[in-house]
Amino acid sequence: MTKERNVTLSVPALPEYVDLVRLTLYGIASKMKFTFEDIEDMKVAVSEACNNAVLHAYGGDDGNVEVQFVTNADELSITVRDFGRSFKIAENQATPSLHGKSIDEIQSGGLGLYLMQALMDRVEVQHDGGTAVTLTKKRIKSEETA
Amino acid sequence: MAMVPNKFTLRTENRDNQTIVFVGGEFDLEVATQMRAAMEPLIELADRRLTLNLQDLKYIDSTGIGILISVVKARHARNAPFDVEHVPTHIRKLFDMTGITPFLAKAE
Repeated sequence: MTKERNVTLSVPALPEYVDLVRLTLYGIASKMKFTFEDIEDMKVAVSEACNNAVLHAYGGDDGNVEVQFVTNADELSITVRDFGRSFKIAENQATPSLHGKSIDEIQSGGLGLYLMQALMDRVEVQHDGGTAVTLTKKRIKSEETA
Repeated sequence: MAMVPNKFTLRTENRDNQTIVFVGGEFDLEVATQMRAAMEPLIELADRRLTLNLQDLKYIDSTGIGILISVVKARHARNAPFDVEHVPTHIRKLFDMTGITPFLAKAE
């Protein structure tokens, strides 16, 4: 029933603009009546995707990160896209989380993709002249009575 | 909820044998350098307990969690006590998810 709608935001690929993406996400997800917990989850996941673009896409040169929010009746998809050199998202491949590890085994990197996958329903990564990460969260229907 | 970014705040309090760092607002990539610089001298004080109080923390990303992991490791290497207290529920969820929780508890 509800048509697909989209909002696109483009920000400089700099750490101090990532909170702008979070604020926009908060506004859109609130309009869609996502729960507080779901919004918090999405904030972290989207920021992780933005962080990756900020840190790796442009190698110190200027560039922008484009964030497209696509809303449907029952889900929100957020695509974080850069136009820099394609990068492999850092991941501690074998066991990205710290579960079951000793203090000597734990490492401070590679948790970004792990968190995105843990917090969202779908995570898709595309490389074509840059990197595009699409994060999707379904809205729990039972929240609404109408 | 106010539609303004939650500014990162950092405040240090010294008690008898303990240094408590109150971390508030958004602890993310933007403030990573500031946080690392603030923690560096405190990590070296091995005869004092180092505690992070997170009661006013609104948000943390993997950069922030990564910094916590480096503090855990650095304190462990110096055989120095470190713990984290007053973790808000939605932050606790991320700690549990990543598996860092057991490393933040009070232990000698």
